[in-house]
Amino acid sequence: MSLFAVEDLALHFGGIRAVDGISFDVRDGEVFAIIGPNGAGKTTIFNLISRLYQPTSGRLIFRGQDITRRPPHVVASLGIARTFQNIELFANATLLQNLLIGRHSHVSASILSQILYTPAVRRAEIAHRGRAEEVIAFLGLERHRDRLIADLPYGIRKVVEIGRALCIDPRLLLLDEPSSGLNVEETQEIAAWIDEIRGTLGVTVIMVEHDMSLVSAVSDRVMALNYGRILALGTAAEVQRDPEVVRAYLGG
Amino acid sequence: MRPIRTSYAQDLTLLPTTGSRVRVALVTGVALAIPAFAGEFYLGELAAVFIFAIAGVGMMLLSGYTGLVSLGQAAFLGIGAYTNAVLLARGVPLILSLPSGAMLAGLAGVAIGIPTLRMSGLYLAIATLAFGSIVGTIFQKWEGVTGGFGGFPVVSPTLGPLILDSPRGLYFLSLAMLGLVLLVAANILRSPLGRSLVAIHGSEISAQSMGVNLAVTKTLSFAISAAITGLAGGLFAHYVHFLAPDSFDLVLSIQFVTMIVVGGLGSLSGAIYGAIFIRLLPQGIALLRDDLPLGIGHMPGLEPSLFGLILVLFIIFEPQGVAGRLSKIAHYWSAFPLHRRATFQRQKSYTRSERVR
Repeated sequence: MSLFAVEDLALHFGGIRAVDGISFDVRDGEVFAIIGPNGAGKTTIFNLISRLYQPTSGRLIFRGQDITRRPPHVVASLGIARTFQNIELFANATLLQNLLIGRHSHVSASILSQILYTPAVRRAEIAHRGRAEEVIAFLGLERHRDRLIADLPYGIRKVVEIGRALCIDPRLLLLDEPSSGLNVEETQEIAAWIDEIRGTLGVTVIMVEHDMSLVSAVSDRVMALNYGRILALGTAAEVQRDPEVVRAYLGG
Repeated sequence: MRPIRTSYAQDLTLLPTTGSRVRVALVTGVALAIPAFAGEFYLGELAAVFIFAIAGVGMMLLSGYTGLVSLGQAAFLGIGAYTNAVLLARGVPLILSLPSGAMLAGLAGVAIGIPTLRMSGLYLAIATLAFGSIVGTIFQKWEGVTGGFGGFPVVSPTLGPLILDSPRGLYFLSLAMLGLVLLVAANILRSPLGRSLVAIHGSEISAQSMGVNLAVTKTLSFAISAAITGLAGGLFAHYVHFLAPDSFDLVLSIQFVTMIVVGGLGSLSGAIYGAIFIRLLPQGIALLRDDLPLGIGHMPGLEPSLFGLILVLFIIFEPQGVAGRLSKIAHYWSAFPLHRRATFQRQKSYTRSERVR
């Protein structure tokens, strides 16, 4: 069953066709990878899905709803979470505070009740804290809980960003290059997390990734892009054999 | 030391450690005891410290936490001051006129917040600077209400048994208001709203993807900051007794910036340290004036240049201000003798390229 579908999506910056008429759908519970050379339009697709960019044409359908015109801050409350290629954590806040921000789309208290800090706000805060602690336990981040993000090594920050996205309780998780800047062991760890996120939490994952070992290890289907168009779509092995894909990467 | 945690609720208490409770109790006790032996002049000056601390808390929420620069805080102070004074002169009781000033300043905050939503840094500084200058011009030209350059005398009101004619009354009123504002600010900071302010400071793009409505939250930050500053303005009117349009100019706005930077960006106690600094430095200069050699003490512009010099020195040597320095000293002694020099050093991060704007 299709959880999320992209229909004929396009984004043009003047004459540049960053995304040029792309359609695909993502099934409930699968790991869907997007690969392609630099500038192929992978991150642009993520920014279109998170509604940071307005598409020139095309539609985005999430769980049967057209989300093409929804403002970006609403996307999280629909159940779509994301991470960023260059880690966009709140560096001067603690790990715990970062995770609690992930709970923001579940906050319902009015501003006045927050200023007065009513018992209802306090109860809700304790519940959010409980959820954040579950994510901390899931990702094994207990010993870093109260440390500032600025003090944490890069590899841990990558995991924290995934944790913050999980605090949204998403149905769909967008991972933008989860392995970039990580060594081999850390990349294997990320692969294990992705498996668990899909298997244990039942979250559907779309990821942009360059590391083919990670892509082959975790993804059900792979979509290869170049110049904003789809080159191939299929299993990792199929896509890697595709002559168009080989040409895009190796030239010739 | 932080006590061992046994419940999530523990992290939500405002004063989690015995040390912090004792400190707050001591400071409150001293503040309540001072009027018993201090003279009227000193009480008035201390009231001014409290008033500036209130304005500092307002600016801290906006600049220290949300990361939005403002060079127009003096305008909010002025709006609060004039509204309070004008309403009092027309017979409105203080209990209504003071909140009205805060509210009108808050609305002015919305008025500057909405058009500047997409601005940050230098551009926002220029926009708020322009806003301050427009409001200043209104104070000058709207003679029917503000009295223009002729100034506006502030009526001394009564609040129950307190007569605000005396510095003593103003001292207690300002102290109570400072306590209230600190409580409000602390509540905001421990609630989801406070987290979203800090998130906007950290990264607007990811705050948005976490579900933070940027437009609403930034405007709200301006409104709350302006309202708190407007409240300080209402009290300030009773401190100066006579409102002149040029007392709410750029120099005052820059003093506010100096106040929160010297006090320590991103901490509420920093607003108080900054207020003490900014109010006591001129007094210190006045005391030393005649003893300084070669007429330095009587040079024009001595005070602003000293403010500027100290601001620059803080930015270079202690960007986290007095509050940051104090927390480092506290850490030094709590870790003694195992303190490491690099404890507070941060690794430089070069990964933030290709950011979505």
